[in-house]
Amino acid sequence: MKRLLNLLPPLAFAGALLLIWHVATDMRLVSPVFLPTPARALGDLAARFADGAIWEPLGATVQRMVLGWFLASMAGIALGAAIGLTPLARDLLEPTLEFLRPLPASAIIPVAILFLGLSESMAVSVIAFGSIWPVLMSSIFGFGAVRVRLQEVSALLGLSRTEFLTRIAIPSAMPDILAGMRSGLAVSLILAVVTEMQASLPGLGRDIFLAQRSFRSGELYAGLIMLGLLGVLINHGLQIAENRLLRWRPQRS
Amino acid sequence: MTIASTKAYAPSGASAPVTVSLRHVGVTFGAMGRPVLEDISFDVREGEFLSIVGPSGCGKTTLLRMLAGLLRPTVGEALFEGLPIIAPSRQRAIVFQDYTNALLPWRTVAGNVALALEKTMPVKAQRDARVAELVAKMGLSHAADRFPTQLSGGMQQRVQIARCLSQEPRIMLMDEPFGALDAMTRQTLQDELMALAAERRTTTVFITHDLEEAIYLGDRVIVLAANPGRIAETIEVELPRPRNQLTTREDPRFLAHRHHLFGLLQGH
Repeated sequence: MKRLLNLLPPLAFAGALLLIWHVATDMRLVSPVFLPTPARALGDLAARFADGAIWEPLGATVQRMVLGWFLASMAGIALGAAIGLTPLARDLLEPTLEFLRPLPASAIIPVAILFLGLSESMAVSVIAFGSIWPVLMSSIFGFGAVRVRLQEVSALLGLSRTEFLTRIAIPSAMPDILAGMRSGLAVSLILAVVTEMQASLPGLGRDIFLAQRSFRSGELYAGLIMLGLLGVLINHGLQIAENRLLRWRPQRS
Repeated sequence: MTIASTKAYAPSGASAPVTVSLRHVGVTFGAMGRPVLEDISFDVREGEFLSIVGPSGCGKTTLLRMLAGLLRPTVGEALFEGLPIIAPSRQRAIVFQDYTNALLPWRTVAGNVALALEKTMPVKAQRDARVAELVAKMGLSHAADRFPTQLSGGMQQRVQIARCLSQEPRIMLMDEPFGALDAMTRQTLQDELMALAAERRTTTVFITHDLEEAIYLGDRVIVLAANPGRIAETIEVELPRPRNQLTTREDPRFLAHRHHLFGLLQGH
């Protein structure tokens, strides 16, 4: 009951926005070519669900995004562990990473297309390149912050390097790793859409792009709403996974 | 309580084998630094409970870390069962003062104790049984599935002690283990520790800055002086065991030790 009551204000706010949107379009304050009524946008989305046309582009986008994000996360954690735990790797890699990091991932797209063509692997590479940074940076921090005391405990118990990594370093860095992975997932959604638009790969991004080109504004906004819903869903899913993995942490009030 | 019965617990004195032996040990940090410890020599005999007390900055913790193998003496020789101490070993368990930092916050009480056994007891059922036994021994059975952040300081320190016991060490090195606890918990844990040490005849080196704690627990007390850390005096504690928070602390011999050592620590 309390939880339901807590949901009321945010729902009311979203409802108010929808109402403003409705009034603005219904009174023709904005041309329907640019902005359809919310009813039409939502109707178009519902129709695409009803006839099943949404699943293919949705599936393509999600698959591309999750694959790129997963590869980025694995590479980011591995590199982050190396840099965070060994000064040698830090000295060796950090200057190069500092150079690569500020490069906008979208600027990499032409290079990726040059090497990999307008392909799925091009898209996945670009997504991975862009979404590795948050997880890499927070992993470096997380592994670097493993308590000295725990390193001593590990030495006193005679744990091997691998045992130290799996039993102490990774769980210790896990809160930071997960926070980085969550930011990385948001980036991967952005890049999935951008690569689809640039390389005309099947997916929600391309559909939005094509809808705009042909002035099908209902479909355009249906695509945007779908992306928004996708983001909310993914974030919520990760939040649940995080709470489960980090249930040892004291509850924040 | 007669003096004779005390010897049932006390180490067999000079006849017991030497567990740890320090010979003119000195520790200096950095090439040009001032020595932290200088010319420290003593033996710890098997089954002995040795207290080391001293003011802050006298190198007590450095001394204990050296015994654990976390750092090496700059000069002199530190031997454990006849061999030089060059690296940490499971045979020498250390109980840190900062229990919060020494436990894995993502593991339950049972999980933290199990950490020390995962290498030596690969069979899970066997390990679980051993963990349950140790957890029960430290009076933590009701909290076995709780995380460290859900426990009081005294309970967290019990977890750390249980983990060290599970190593079945040849010697327990304790670095002001009860320093951060309230007086009541402290006394309870002192008595539990003494009972454990007596039962297992575990050789123990106990560091503290609390004079009374040093006398109350120890068979012998080494007093360190500061700048540089060196041995000021060693006394044999002639108090009957088992000891009692009330009667032992009121014993004239306890008070005499206290007077004597208090003067030393004050530099008189």
